[in-house]
Amino acid sequence: MNTRTIQILKGFIVSNLFSVGLIGVSKYLFSRGGQPIFIFSEFVIIPILMGMICAWFWKDLNLPGRKKALYACLDIFLVLAFSYIFLGEGVICLVIVSPLIFGFLMLGVFVGFKLFKRNDENLNVSIIAILVFVFVNDSLSKHNYQNRVSDTITINAPPAKVWKNVVAFEKIKQENKYWLFRIGMPSPMQTTVTGYYKGAGRKCIFSNGYTFDEKIITYDEARDLTFDIVGQPRDPEIMNHIDILRGQFLLKDNGNGTTTLTGNSWYKLYVFPTWYYDIWAQSITRNVHLRVMEHIKQLSEK
Amino acid sequence: MPYLFDSQLMLWTLFARPQILDAFDNIELEVLRWQGTGKRLHKYGGIQFDFNGKEIGHIHSNGLLDIRFNRKIKAQLLAENRITDHHVFEKSGWISFYIENENDAQYAKELLRKAYEGLYDHLHR
Repeated sequence: MNTRTIQILKGFIVSNLFSVGLIGVSKYLFSRGGQPIFIFSEFVIIPILMGMICAWFWKDLNLPGRKKALYACLDIFLVLAFSYIFLGEGVICLVIVSPLIFGFLMLGVFVGFKLFKRNDENLNVSIIAILVFVFVNDSLSKHNYQNRVSDTITINAPPAKVWKNVVAFEKIKQENKYWLFRIGMPSPMQTTVTGYYKGAGRKCIFSNGYTFDEKIITYDEARDLTFDIVGQPRDPEIMNHIDILRGQFLLKDNGNGTTTLTGNSWYKLYVFPTWYYDIWAQSITRNVHLRVMEHIKQLSEK
Repeated sequence: MPYLFDSQLMLWTLFARPQILDAFDNIELEVLRWQGTGKRLHKYGGIQFDFNGKEIGHIHSNGLLDIRFNRKIKAQLLAENRITDHHVFEKSGWISFYIENENDAQYAKELLRKAYEGLYDHLHR
């Protein structure tokens, strides 16, 4: 193996060991025994530092841009593979996270090449110290983010007819249109109830058989069905990433034989930065809503 | 965010049109040979080339080259039918040019050289 290949491999190995080590140390030192949280730094600061480590080992190799980008991809592939094997992350989660870490790893590679070319030790140490400071500070900070997604459709049927399909419905047979559902993310399939009253149990069954256990907390016939999620499936795509807290269907009689159906979901995110992950959370929740609400519309308009 | 968006463009370019990344290297090598030039990250993502602290132009990772000229030069270049108005600031002196192959990279170098000479002459006038 020539020196060049060894330097390239060192970039991969050291950057990956560094990321595993830093995540391990931060979880050990900063987790307070409660719900694990994936903080902003794990997806931003660590990839930047990984890119800088790669740049350190690759700085004298005169790599063309195409190879830099390709090697950055390989480095990310290794991180994702380790996350899949050792952290038990789901494939869809890794698909979602990869654009974020690719962006920041490439930023780290670029900054690293610039920094190490200047050969200014003070500057190098300062920048790395700032990044580590941000990481520690972020690890010690409180993280709490909740949001609600709301969607509305009009159904050509009166509320009384829509209501029975809102509370529970038979299997959805339509093909999935949303790309994440098409590549394997579980989609909603069926809802069952133990009774038509406040306090009754409700189950939302997904395409892979996983079930959300729900409890009806508002049963205002033909107007408002609100339920709390009391049990979430231990799916690696969901676990420690998002908690769905509450769901709601509101029906509004339009006075012309049609009903406006509004679907609301409240959720809590455990992955940060939210400016990135909330885009995905909203998109997925919206598509869960729309799949269910389109089905309710189809059943009600029969 | 803009940098993150640009990195996704780079990812797409890497797999869809990898030769464009070679063209970027070629352009970068050429521009950085000119006296007083440097490169840095552009604020909206991509690589920016500077001369004496002033921007010569920048290339986004999908191959879109943006350069600012005066309106007279822009009009001359538009007459050559290879460049277009800037993809955002249409009414300004900015121009846009998509680099899709090695020939385009050559033309991109000519455009950057023209902008560089403008800045150089301005400084030494």
